[in-house]
Amino acid sequence: MDPIITTFALYIIGMMAIGYYFYKANEDTEDYFLGNRGLNAPVTALSAQASDMSGWLLMGFPGAIYAGGFHAMWIGIGLAVGTYLNWQFTASRLRYYTEVVDAITIADFFENRFRDDSRALRMVTGLVILIFFTIYVSSGLVAGGTLFENILGVDYDIAVYIAVVIIALYTFLGGYLAVSWSDFIQGSLMFLALIIVPVSVVSSMGGLGELWGAVAEMNPDLLHAFRTVEFFPGEGAVWQTAGEGVNAMDLISNIAWGLGYFGMPHIIVRFMSIDDGKQLPVAQTIGVTWVVITLIGAVFVGIIGIATFAEPLGNPETVFLELLQEVMNPWVGGVFLAAVLAAIMSTVDSQLLVSSSALTEDFYKAFFRREASDGELLFFSRASVIAITLIALYFAMAGGRILDIVGYAWAGLGSAFGPAILFSLYWKKTNRYGVLAGIIAGGATVIIWNNFFAFTGLYEIVPGFLLSSLIIFVVSLLGPETDPEIAEEFEQVREMARD
Amino acid sequence: MESLPASTWFWLVVPNLIIVLLSLGRLIYSRRGDS
Repeated sequence: MDPIITTFALYIIGMMAIGYYFYKANEDTEDYFLGNRGLNAPVTALSAQASDMSGWLLMGFPGAIYAGGFHAMWIGIGLAVGTYLNWQFTASRLRYYTEVVDAITIADFFENRFRDDSRALRMVTGLVILIFFTIYVSSGLVAGGTLFENILGVDYDIAVYIAVVIIALYTFLGGYLAVSWSDFIQGSLMFLALIIVPVSVVSSMGGLGELWGAVAEMNPDLLHAFRTVEFFPGEGAVWQTAGEGVNAMDLISNIAWGLGYFGMPHIIVRFMSIDDGKQLPVAQTIGVTWVVITLIGAVFVGIIGIATFAEPLGNPETVFLELLQEVMNPWVGGVFLAAVLAAIMSTVDSQLLVSSSALTEDFYKAFFRREASDGELLFFSRASVIAITLIALYFAMAGGRILDIVGYAWAGLGSAFGPAILFSLYWKKTNRYGVLAGIIAGGATVIIWNNFFAFTGLYEIVPGFLLSSLIIFVVSLLGPETDPEIAEEFEQVREMARD
Repeated sequence: MESLPASTWFWLVVPNLIIVLLSLGRLIYSRRGDS
């Protein structure tokens, strides 16, 4: 019996069992999408973090570190700071605001917050979610495919199909409660993997000094946060320094990843589901500590990879997978390989859920079936999980670098929704025209920049976020006086969120 | 024995430490007067 495959199979069965248990327990769509705002602080914290950190954390990011050394850690620092700011400034206000205006999705929030009876905000929000989450989900399928290809030794195409079946079945069954609880377990497993693996490998090497020494043998610049190193597998010197000094454009682009957080529906929706808003500081402390430790762990995984493999890896994003198989006991390795699947599933399931709620609430119910029963909506939302998965599967078949696919979706969502959320929560005068224009401008800038201005080397989230903010500000400023009812509601939320 | 440059250590540890401490600070502040 192969230990890796056995552990893996047991893990998947366990997660499915959780899904099935909650499948029985889901009574309506608020249960399915929000778990009826009944989660405690640790579950809220870890489910937010596990939904955030996808195959990116255990594959994309360590791969970037493996290929570029410490210079690639700036994305991690940007994300850690972004996570903190998001908990600090978005969580509490959004939790109370969505309760006061009775919203269970981000589209509900915009529509109810601005009393938008035209439905335009809802439609545009739903559309942006569908476009960028389909891309995002496809990055999860690429990661799942790479994972199964690597451990089962099957072709990538077949591996992607296996990943799809497992992920879709699991999301389809459980809904939000299952996703939140299993995210909690998956988040814990990712955390343990990213502590135990680096610590045990470094100690078996004989300490950090040995690690730095082995890395410096490849290229001492890999140890510098401000020197750019490029990866050339198959050539003489695999790691080559690309010129002197800091590349400012790179540095800004990497740190700017952190801007994305305020607009990630699958993450901020977690803030809404905590049972008691006063517990948010507890959840924040757990969440931020989790993210800091796992990101540092992921940096070490990439660095250890440089020192470990005699032959450079064909695909740097498999560094964690290869490391587990190379240096860990197969039973332990199997558990931690399951952590990679955990990371992938815990993100894809949340994203499928948000996308299916967009299709269900923002299109189906809003435009076609206003009188639809809860049972009908639940059925439709499950069918839409399958539909979105199939479209994402089509994109995933083309493969690609996980980091790039995630980066595109991340920029799109972050630029479209980040400024809109922040302005809605913090500026009373923000109006629906401003938010509508801002969402469109943010999303469109990312698509245009990615296709026509990539040569600048600037990550598209920077222009997208800035332009969206500017437009919301200007359009809202020119708009009519704020409705007194909306203004009063705004003040009420401000009072509630004061801790 | 090779060592990691001080600036790399600094940027790896300090920003992360600050945000954890700020979060802890908010937690403690939010609990004031509870006990």
